[in-house]
Parts: sequence; structure tokens; C-alpha cells
Amino acid sequence: MPFEWVQIPYALLTLFIVVNYGLVLTALIQKIGARVGRRHGIRIYQNYVDLLKNYALRTHITHGVMFYLGPVFRLTGGVGLLLFVPTIFGSEMFSNLSFAGDLILALYFVFFGSLGMALGAGESGHPYSAIGVTRGLSQVTAAELPLALAVFAVSLQYETLSITEIVAAQQGGVTNWTLFTNPLAVAAAMLSFLGSMMRPPFDVVLAPQEIPIGPPTEYHSAYLALMQTNRVIFPVAKVVIYMNLFFGGATGWGEFAVKVFCIYMVSVLVGVVFPRFRVEQSIRWFLVWAVPIGVLSIVIA
Amino acid sequence: MVSAIFILAIGLGAAFLLGLLRDTWRGLAYALTLAALAAMSWIAGSWLVALAGGLGPVEIRTAGFAPPFAIALRMGLPEAALSLLISLTGLLSAVYMRGTLMRLGRRAMAVLLIAVMALVGIVLTRDAFNLFVFLELTVIATGGLVLLSADPRALGAGFKYLVVAQVISILLLVGVIFAYHATGSLNIDDMAAANLVTLKGGAIAFFLMFVAVVAELKPFPANGWALDIYESAHPAFSAILSAALSAAALIAADKMLSIGGPEWLPVASSLGLVSFLGANILALAQDNDRRLLGYSSIGQVGLVLVVLGQRDILGASTPFIAGGLLLAHAVAKAGFYWLSGLVQGRSLMDWTALRGHPVLIFAFVTFVALLLGLPPFPGFYAKWGLVHALAADGRYLVLGLILLGSLIESGYLMRWFGYIIKRPQVDLPPLPSLSKRAVVLTAVAAGWALGWIWGEISGYPNLLLSIPLLFALGFLFIEWLPAWVKNLVAIAGLGAWFWYTFPGYDPLHLIYAAIILVGGAVILVASFDAKGRRVGFYPPAMLMYAGLSMLILAQDSFAFFAAWEYLTIGSYFLILRGKKSEPHALSYILFSLGGAFAILAGLALGAQGVLPFDVADLAKAPARLAPWIFALLAIGFMTKTAAIGLHIWLPGAHAEAETDVSPMVSGILLKAGLFGLTLLLMIMGKQSLYGIELTYVMLWIGALSALVGNLLAAFQEDAKRLLAYSSIGQMGYALFGLAMMNHLGWLMALMFVINHYIYKSMLFLSVGGVAKRTGTRDMYRMGGLITLMPLSFIAVLIGIIAVSGVPPLSGFGGRWIFYNAIMSSEYRLPMVLIFLSGPIAFLYLFRLIHTIFLGQLKDEHRKLKEAPLWLILPQMLYVAFLLGFAVVPGLALRHVDAYISEFFPAHALIWDDITITSTFGYWSPISIMVVVGCIFAVLFLWLLVLNHRAQKVKQFNIVYSAERPFRPETTHFAWNFFAPYRKALGFMTLPLVTRFWQAQTDLLHSTAQVSRRFYTGNGQTYAVHMLAFAVAVYLIWMGS
Repeated sequence: MPFEWVQIPYALLTLFIVVNYGLVLTALIQKIGARVGRRHGIRIYQNYVDLLKNYALRTHITHGVMFYLGPVFRLTGGVGLLLFVPTIFGSEMFSNLSFAGDLILALYFVFFGSLGMALGAGESGHPYSAIGVTRGLSQVTAAELPLALAVFAVSLQYETLSITEIVAAQQGGVTNWTLFTNPLAVAAAMLSFLGSMMRPPFDVVLAPQEIPIGPPTEYHSAYLALMQTNRVIFPVAKVVIYMNLFFGGATGWGEFAVKVFCIYMVSVLVGVVFPRFRVEQSIRWFLVWAVPIGVLSIVIA
Repeated sequence: MVSAIFILAIGLGAAFLLGLLRDTWRGLAYALTLAALAAMSWIAGSWLVALAGGLGPVEIRTAGFAPPFAIALRMGLPEAALSLLISLTGLLSAVYMRGTLMRLGRRAMAVLLIAVMALVGIVLTRDAFNLFVFLELTVIATGGLVLLSADPRALGAGFKYLVVAQVISILLLVGVIFAYHATGSLNIDDMAAANLVTLKGGAIAFFLMFVAVVAELKPFPANGWALDIYESAHPAFSAILSAALSAAALIAADKMLSIGGPEWLPVASSLGLVSFLGANILALAQDNDRRLLGYSSIGQVGLVLVVLGQRDILGASTPFIAGGLLLAHAVAKAGFYWLSGLVQGRSLMDWTALRGHPVLIFAFVTFVALLLGLPPFPGFYAKWGLVHALAADGRYLVLGLILLGSLIESGYLMRWFGYIIKRPQVDLPPLPSLSKRAVVLTAVAAGWALGWIWGEISGYPNLLLSIPLLFALGFLFIEWLPAWVKNLVAIAGLGAWFWYTFPGYDPLHLIYAAIILVGGAVILVASFDAKGRRVGFYPPAMLMYAGLSMLILAQDSFAFFAAWEYLTIGSYFLILRGKKSEPHALSYILFSLGGAFAILAGLALGAQGVLPFDVADLAKAPARLAPWIFALLAIGFMTKTAAIGLHIWLPGAHAEAETDVSPMVSGILLKAGLFGLTLLLMIMGKQSLYGIELTYVMLWIGALSALVGNLLAAFQEDAKRLLAYSSIGQMGYALFGLAMMNHLGWLMALMFVINHYIYKSMLFLSVGGVAKRTGTRDMYRMGGLITLMPLSFIAVLIGIIAVSGVPPLSGFGGRWIFYNAIMSSEYRLPMVLIFLSGPIAFLYLFRLIHTIFLGQLKDEHRKLKEAPLWLILPQMLYVAFLLGFAVVPGLALRHVDAYISEFFPAHALIWDDITITSTFGYWSPISIMVVVGCIFAVLFLWLLVLNHRAQKVKQFNIVYSAERPFRPETTHFAWNFFAPYRKALGFMTLPLVTRFWQAQTDLLHSTAQVSRRFYTGNGQTYAVHMLAFAVAVYLIWMGS
């Protein structure tokens, strides 16, 4: 797939759509979560307000170079992840910059932002940041494993690592989706999905309801705004990968919006029901419940 | 040519003459003694030269009659060599004992002369009764010489010796009488010709003679008396006892075996093996130097006896092999005893006195190498030949036991060397005596000369003459120069050798060559940081590099194995230089030698006696043996790559090594194992043992190594240990890639070879630099160093991104190739472990960078400077290289890719302009770099626009529960960093492997401790031992 300059504005368009979609989606989901808890929840445009406010805030504070660069790394990770994966199947316009690499690039690029942000948070010198990072890293080692296995099973199934080809293989009806052709792999992947969405029972990394903890502890104003931007792009980008691998991809923005919402909702549904795990509990949970399914999926594949 | 009988005549005559001198003319008496010994040596030497020149063996008939009417002597090549050995040992010991002899006067000198004369007599005589006479003379002389010692225990020891010796003599005499009765001749050749053992009464006659002569070898366990002598006698006499008496007794045993015929060979082998193993195990428990050397002597003599017992398969090479072992033993042991006379204390620790005397240390090293049969010494050639003969004939048990015994021997000798170099130095300096030192150095020279001679007659290219080795040894002579000069020479040498050998490499070898030679030179840039002369660094370092560079050039198995030994020894000395590395260096050398023995056995099995053996011919190994050969070689190589189960040496060895040594032994040395594995898999392909595919087993081992290495790395507090464990994991990946046995698996392994060299060398240098500045390697004692050591930080940052495999750096390429490789692999399950270990790498990598460079700066570190320039310089080169390799991996990889296609044509990559395409996916390193770079730059600029006036706040200016922290120690989150992870998966870090190996060594040591109780020091007990020994020999004989 050769590069053409026109792909840059197209990619930016994808970005623009996803940012707006993400802002609304995350607000909606927060609202749903609140309603389950018999609260009213935020306004649907609240994310826009927060984001604009934070971008507008001025600060004179930095803890050092890495601290300064942390949010940049973080958002680069999110934007890069989104753009390395084709969003709309069959559309030249929204195949983004996927010429740079295949599924493996996407899987590994997930860590780019996390690593950069962890480094930035580390330089703040705040122990809570470091604690958050250790929790996150610990959890991710177990949570990523079922996904890796599922991806392996799926790429064995379709004999390709190209996301476009994997989506192509699922066209022609719902029953061609990996969900139905390889349910074990999808089951493993979806359990892993729970672990990566920062929702209960796997949200001890940020521990959002208690003391401020986790990498963002020291971040504020424009730094925080960059991270918030990432927080609307990154989950969507991740869900896009799931959608492409397991749920037949999307052939238009409408299908895209529905599918991403539905996949996202899986983690929300689980999250509003279950209380939070400690890190070692979640590691054991993934190893005991999710990994065997993943192993089964690659053995059968 | 002077008749050989004059050797005896001169000894005897001079001893008589001494009796005629006045007791006060001691100077004259001493001069006479020396002159006599020198004359004896000269005659023996001239015979040796003549016989080596092609002269046949000469029979000497005393009294002019042929046997059986008179005693016959024989001077052949072995006799000449041993006569020279005995008389020279006597001469040198006489020089060494000058003070003692002058004090005791002519009688002592006469006894010495008689002893030497009698020993030569044992060597020369072909007459059984005459043999008895010379043995008696030896016994009497020995009894007298033992008393030369100032040690009060010597008297008791001498008496016990006489008691046992009489038992032996009686046995021998009775045996000779019976034999004479049966054959009508006292001549040994006549007895052999008459086939004594088949005659009536002949068997028992031979049995008695054999037991007596073998008992003279002081076989384990009937040797308590000999050990007491070794322990208490004058060291110069112990030298004679160990070198000369052993040699004489061995040739006597050889003569007996020529009478006994093939039926008795297994008996000799069994006795030898028991002796070799038993004595070496017991030596483990010794803390008295001379007793330890005594045990070692008994072991070595046992080994030579085994060789004599294997003469049915060794044939014409028996003298070469037995001689190599015996002479190496004799020179080394005599040298050791002479050296022990310079050391004032008797405990092993007292030898720390040698430290600070490089020449004496060199002597010690030479003797150890001689004893252990390391190249280029004769024992190496001898063991090589022996092992090949045993393997070719299927005598695996003998082979295994010999290698086991050798390993135990290297255990206590290397441990001792470690004590000398590392333990607190005692206050008793070595004696300053020049003549004694000269004697020791003569032994050193003799050892090297023997190495040269054995190299010349071995039929192989002489190991001593290879250019890399000579270059390494050359550094011994320029040790007085300042370190930077030597460093320049070293770098120039590596570069020149690379340039010189460059045209000969194929792409695969070129990668290894570049890492070893060019990479080695880059690491040496860091060595400019060392001040002073840095004595003892360059010879071993260059020996290691010599071994490595010879390894990749080696064609035949001999050159390959010799190179393997060189790099092992060199790296051992290098590792031992670290401050607290003594136990780790020991464990390293033991695992390495164990691995080397496995390789030796594997090569020998493959060669099936055909020598020289091209390594590539392993492909033609018989199907029955091929899997075993494969397994042995693989175990040997995996010892070097520290695969799980064989890995426990690595963390300590790499962590405790010096700053610039760690990258050498991690970044470069580990590749030797991978090189071996690459070669092995390339040549032998897949092998199955009992239906299990061995490459599949390796796949699991690789995966487990990756998992356990990474997991343990995450729990380390010590930065260098963390990196060391990470190497275990990384080597696991590489092993895994090779074991996949497909195109991309190999490409991935080679990518790991390159990547691991770069980032591990870089990380060890940066962490080493930080440790140098902070004075600690514990990460939780550091923190917040980013602003003080920014360049080190950048190196670590780039390093961890590359290790973790996150795009856009080169580590991602490895991961991408890995995924493509597993797609075409037939195995699935081991991947689970690899998938699990991948993210675990993030744990230790983040810990490394966070706890050192981020977080809170400690008060005591506020004034630290960046690491020294010479350490930073190579790191920056690595950073540049990593970035370059990330963008254009094709520069190195596409040639290798094409080369691998010769072996695995399927699934080769397609290298278009900027995109690399596989059967399954694609990857465009430049695009990734550009895209990521652009996004990053845009966002960064945006942040700058928004937030360009940000000021750096002070250290504790953080939101902290309404409090203001003020102590970095309590605010820096670093210690036990992954506590929850330990709770979840800590059970996988139980040191099971360490416990296993600990149990093995404990078992050996307790065996030694229990066996010690048999040596009561009581003469009667020893006599009972003697009797029990005779019964045991009888039983073995009946059994065989």
C-alpha cells in the first residue's frame, strides 16, 4: 500500500470523528454508570467543557523534561494506535496510515503511550504515581495474555497478520464473524478486554473513587488535557482493534458507532456489577479463568 | 652416547663418594650431589633427544649376558622421558632443599641420590626381582627423606610408611618367587611371553605382584600413609614423591600389565577410576594445602592408571595420552609443592600471601591449568585423545566417570584459586628465597615447554602458535605498561584481526565476528576509564576474545573445543576480578567446565574415533548416536547461554563483574553459546530421543528461561542483577527462536543476537556508571538522577524501549519477526509462556529506569556528576546504532535472511524499498519512525504553545495528602517495587534450581567428610586398608 499525501488529511478526519465520538461516548457511558447507581450523572457535553477548560488553564509548573513529555508520549500513543489501524473496512479514505505495519504493530504500540506516561509520572516524584504504575504494569502482564493468545489464534485461523485481510475474511454475514467462527478466542479476548478498560473490577490502577492515585496524580491543566484527549481516543482505538478482529469490522461510520458502543458496553456492564479486585486477585483471576480459554483457542486453532 | 646404565652408576657412585667425604665438607658434598644429579639428567636428556630423533629402544644387558642369566635394562622413549623427569625433579628439589641438605649433611644427600637412582632404576629395569630391589631402595630412601622435614609428624608418617611398605614388599617378593617358579625367568618380557597368568600358580603370582605394584601408586582408599607423608614431609621431597615416585610406580604398573595381558586391563581401569573419583571427592574436604595436593596426586595417578588400563583401545597412542597426563601432573604437582614451600602457612587461605606477586600467581595458574588439562597444555591433548577413544569404543561409563572426576577436581582447584585472589590476605608474605622461586619458575617453563611439545607431536596445528592466543599471551609481557596503552593495543588488535579475517566470513559468521571483534573493541573504549596499570585484566580479557574469535573460525572439532576452553578460562579470570565475585566466578567456571565436558563428549561421540573431525560432519553421525550427540552438545551450549536449570551462575557472575567486564561477558560472551547452538542446529537439524523431539524440548527450555528470567529480573533490588536476569530471559527468546527451526525463528534469534549485544552492553555500562558515582547498585538507594546524569538516562531510556519491543525502536523488529515465525511453527503451547513473559519485561524495565533516574533524589547524591566520559562514549555510540538499526534493519538482516534461505527456504522475507513483507504481514520501519515522530513533534509543539512558560518546581512540591514530604527515602517508591506481583506469582521464583545444585555439592562434600573418617592416622588401620585393598582387587579381578 503506497503512501500518498492525501492520506494525511484523511487520517486527520478520522481523528476528528473519533475524538468527537469518543467525547460523547465516554460521557454517555459515565451517565449510564451513574444511572445504575441511581445517580443523575454528568451532562452529555460535559467532556467538552472539561477538556476546553483544561486546555485553557495555564500553569507554570513542571517537574522536569520527562514529566513535560509524558502526556505527549501518552497522546502520541493513542493517536498513533488509532491511525495505524484501518477504521472503516473497504474505505481507502479511512484506512488511515495502516501501511506502516500490521496487527503486531498495533498490539505493541499500545505500550508506547503507557510507557511514556509512566516515565513522565515517575519524574513527578510522587509515590502515588509510581504505585499506580506498578499496579498497572502488574495487572497488564496477566490481562494481556489472553488477548495475545486470542490474537494468535485468530491470525492462525485467517493465516494473516494484516488487519484488513482479517476483516475481509469476516465479510458476508454475521455468522462469518470471528465471534461465531472462533468463539473461544473471542471469549478469551473479551475477558482480557475487561482488564484493559480501567473499569471495575480491574480499576485499582487508577482507583478513581478514593485518593488520587495512578500516573495522572501530578498532572494538571494542559498536561491533563492532553491525557484527557487520549482518554477519549485510546479506548475507541482499542475497541476498533477488537471490532476488526472479532466482530466483522465496520463498513461505515454508523456501523462503527454501534459496534464500538456495544463492545465498550461489555466492560461497563461487568463494571457496574462487580466490586474492585486487588492487583494480585486480578492477576490470579486472569490466569485462572481467562488464560485457559485462550490456551484452548490456540490448541484448537 | 653414554650408556643409560651410567645414570644408575653415577647416582650410586656419588652416594658412595659422599660417604667418603668429611662431614664438614658440606659445600663440596652438596656440589657433588648437584653434579651427580645434573649428570644423570644430562644422560637421560641426551637419550630422550636421540630417541625422539628416531632411534629405536635400546636393551642394556648387564654383565654381558642375555636374560634370564642377567638383569636387562631398557631405554626407550617413555623410559628416557621419565628418567629425565625423575632426575630433573631430583636436581631441582636438591637446589630447592639447599638449606636443609647443608644442615643435615652428606647422609641426607646420599639418601636423596639413592632415591633418585632407585626411581630411575624402576623405570629402566626389565627384571622383576630387580624391580623389587629398586622398590626396596626407594622405600628405605623415602623413609629417610621423610625425616628431612622439620614437621614433628613426619617421624610418625615415615614409620607408618615403612610398615605399609613392608607389607607391599612381602607381597611383591612372594609374587616374584612364584612367578619365577612358574616361568623359570625373572625377566618381565619373558614372563609376558610365557603368558604367566595362564600357567599353574602363575595367576596368583601375578596377582601378588600386581597388588604390590599398584599399591605403590597409593590408590584410593589404601593410601592413608602416603597422605600423611605428603602432609608432613619437606615440600621438595613431596615434589619428588608426587612427580618422580608416581611416574616410576606407574611405569612399574605398566610393566606388570604387560605381563598380565588384556585380562587385567579392566582391573587396572577400575582401580584407577575409583582412585581418581575417590581422591578428588576427598580433596574437596581438605583445608591443608599439601594434603589436598596429595589427594590430587593420587587422583591424577589413578587417571593415568585408567589410561594404561584402556591400552587395548588406545593402542599406539597410549604413550602420548598417558605421557601427556603424567608429565602434566608431574610438572604441576612438583611445581605446586615447591610453591607450597614458599608459602608460610599450611591452610589454603594462607596462599593469599601470593597475591601481589603476579609471577607466583601466574605460576599457580599454570599449574592449575596443567592439572586440569586446559589448553594449550599436554593434558588437554591427552584428554582429547582419551575421550575420543573411549567414545569411539562405547566405553561410556568410563568416559562419564573420568569427566565427573575432572569436574570435581576443577571444583577444588578453582575454589582454591578464588580464595587466593579474593579472601582477606594473610600477614605472612611468601619466602623471598630466589633459588626456590627459580625452581618454581623452572617448573612453569617446563609446563609451557611441554605444552609446545605436545602441540607439535599431536598432529594438530600447535595450539600455542595460533595468532590470537599469542596476542593474548603477549599482554603478559606488557603488564608493566599503563592501562590505556594496553587498551589501545587491545582495540587495535581486535580491529586488525577483524580486518584480516573479514573476507572469510559468510553473513551468519560475520554477525558474530562483528559483535565479538568490533563490538568487543567498542566495549573496550569504556576500559579507558581505568586508571593505573590494571594488572591482570588484559591477558584474560584478550584470552577470552582470542577464544571467541577462534571459535567462529574453527573448522574441525579440535580447534572448536580448544577455542571454547580458551574463552571459558579467559572469562573466568575476568569475572573473578569483581570485588565480591569469588563464589559466582567459581559457580561460573564449574558450570562452564561441566558444559565444556558435555561438548567434549558430544564431539567425541560424533567423531567416532575419526580425527581430525570436521564439525560439519556431525551431520553424518550414526542415527543411533545422533540424538545423544545433539543432547550433549546442546546442554553444553545452553550452559553458556544460561538456559533455565543451568542458569544459576549467571546473575552473580554478571552482576559482580567490573563495570566494563559485565558488558563483555553479557553482551558478547553469551553469544558463544548461541553460536554453538546455531551451528549445532544447522548441522544436525531436528533429532528425536525416545520419540521426543529434542528441538521441541529446547523450545520449552527457551520459553521457560524467558519467563523465569524476566520474572526474577522484576524482583531484583540490585540493578546489575536485574540486567543479568534479564539476559537469561533474552537468551531464552533467542534459544526459542532457534529451536523453532524455521526461517523466521532463526532470523529472530539473530536479531536478538545483535540487539542483545547492543542494549545489554549499553545498559550495563550506564548502570555501571551510575553505580560508580553513587557507590551502590541497589536501585532503591538511588532515585531522581535524571537531571544529574542525563546522558546515562538517555542511554537507559533508549535501551529499555529497545528491550521492551515497543515501536519504533529495533526491539519491535524482533517481536514482529517472532510473531511471523510462530505463525509458521508447528508448535503452539510453548508460545503461551513467551506471551506471558513479554509484558513481564515491562516490569523490570520500568523499575530500572524509574527507581534510578526518576522519583526522588537522595540528599547524598545532590552533587553527583555524570558518569565518566569513557563510559558515556560507547553508550552514545550504541544509542546512535540502535536508532540506526531501528530505521534500517535491512542493512544487516537482509543478508542474513538470504543466507538462512539456504537452510530454510520457506517464508523468507521480501525486502522492498521501505516495507518488509512476510507471508503473513508487513512492517515498514521507516514509516513507523516518521509517523510516530511527526505525531510526537506536533503534539509537543502544541503543548509548548499552551504551556511554554512552565517552570521547574522543587523536589517536594507535590500534592501529598495535605502534607509536605521532606525525606526522599520515605517518598521514593522503590523498594519491593512489585509487592503485589510477588503475592500473585512469587511462588514461581522459589530457588528450586539453586537448591538442586546446592544439594549436589552438599552431597559430594558430605561424602568427602564421611570418607575422611577412614583415615584415622593409625598405622594399623592403614595396614588393614592395605589388606582390604588386596581383597578388593582380587574380587574385581574375579568379577571381570
